[in-house]
Amino acid sequence: MGANRTFVEVDYCQSSKNQQSVAGDIFLSHRIPDQERTICILADGLGSGIKANVLATLTATMTMRYILDDIDIRRASEIIMSTLPVCKERKIGYSTFTILDIKHDGMVNMIEYDNPPCVLMRGQRRLDVQKNRVTVKSDNIGVRDIWHSRFRAKENDRAVLFSDGVTQSGMGTATMPLGWTDEKAAQHIAEICTRFPDISARDLSRNIVAVARKNDEFHNKDDITCSVIYFRRPRKTLIVTGPPIDKQRDVRLAAIVREFPGKKIVCGGTTATLIARELNDTISVNLDGYYFDVPPASKMEHVDLVTEGILTLTRCVDILEKKLAPETLPNDAAVQLVKILLDSDIIQFVVGTKINDAHQDPNLPVELDIRRNLIKRFVALLNDKYLKEASFKLI
Amino acid sequence: MKTVNVVICTGTTCYVMGAGHLLGLKEHLDESIAQRVNITGASCLTLCKNDEYGKAPFVRVNDKLITEATIPKIIEEIQRQLQNNPATE
Repeated sequence: MGANRTFVEVDYCQSSKNQQSVAGDIFLSHRIPDQERTICILADGLGSGIKANVLATLTATMTMRYILDDIDIRRASEIIMSTLPVCKERKIGYSTFTILDIKHDGMVNMIEYDNPPCVLMRGQRRLDVQKNRVTVKSDNIGVRDIWHSRFRAKENDRAVLFSDGVTQSGMGTATMPLGWTDEKAAQHIAEICTRFPDISARDLSRNIVAVARKNDEFHNKDDITCSVIYFRRPRKTLIVTGPPIDKQRDVRLAAIVREFPGKKIVCGGTTATLIARELNDTISVNLDGYYFDVPPASKMEHVDLVTEGILTLTRCVDILEKKLAPETLPNDAAVQLVKILLDSDIIQFVVGTKINDAHQDPNLPVELDIRRNLIKRFVALLNDKYLKEASFKLI
Repeated sequence: MKTVNVVICTGTTCYVMGAGHLLGLKEHLDESIAQRVNITGASCLTLCKNDEYGKAPFVRVNDKLITEATIPKIIEEIQRQLQNNPATE
């Protein structure tokens, strides 16, 4: 992707119906780098709990497969509607869905079937696009209408998808007898985008789910899911870790740090020491409120965050693999690093390949991974699970 | 009043060898000497790369290097230095 191209940021937030361990809403997103394309699907299965989860998962995964194989969306919808298992009580097999097929040049194809309408924002204004009716026939549920639209997204556009758990939240309460409603939810989104013009997909989806939960007085009456797709100027982050294989390259590494246009993170004591030396900077370790899992973070004038290396990076990979919410964890150096990464789109690792012999000592009480292997895992994780554009180079 | 600067290395090797515990040094100091001790962290003292310095964790008490540092070893060194240079007030 070109350096200044719009980045498609995707994130979502979900809170299950009260007392259900799984949600009946499923959000799937998949990025295909070769085709410069991102596909997002929100499916809401009939009912809630496991049954709904199965319906929605089937719908979302089948749809993803068909779209990836470029099968006509109308045909795909027919197949899905015909094959969904039939609910014993309601005699129908049913899951609503919304599909966004996004080309990274901005062309978006959207299919909507019975979810609340997707809210499109152009900056702070709501964007209306023409929706065309497509009639689909299925043995399971008869004739149904799905809506197709096609538009070109620009920088600062957002597409906000949500399940009816959002728009119907608060239903039956004195203040909103009909629930939040499509219209009020859309107004809220416009208001938030006005007050916080740069709000990330992550924060906006969290905000909407938080409001819907509050409407339900924190006893969700349905699964509440919101996903946001944000066409934004990419936020870039550089992570430098490990000293270069020979000392001659220290200058080059320092120059990369100095000239990088974005957030800068240095992971590793030796690395930080050499960057500080080359950039004439000083490191001060912050011992206030240190936490036990990883060594404390430090500060440098030229760098946004300085941490220890391999332990901190290992802990970051662990947090991301387990999908732990960083805001619920003690704010140690690893958590601070994860927060920056989640708020970044393009993440560039520069990895020094010098091996620290002391780390290979079999008497160490913990096993320390080889840096470049760990970073390979880290990069794959950011790309596959978090839809970031992460890459690494060795120095 | 004479003060002592204690620098605790928080690099990877030192940390896995126990430097995390050393960061709580302040809580182990008697009140009488606590105010004369200045504790800071170092992101790495780069001593673990050379065998001749000894073993991690490394701590500096002024110019004196302590290897395989423990809280008692650090306190002992602090007391020794303070006794050699008693408070002038």
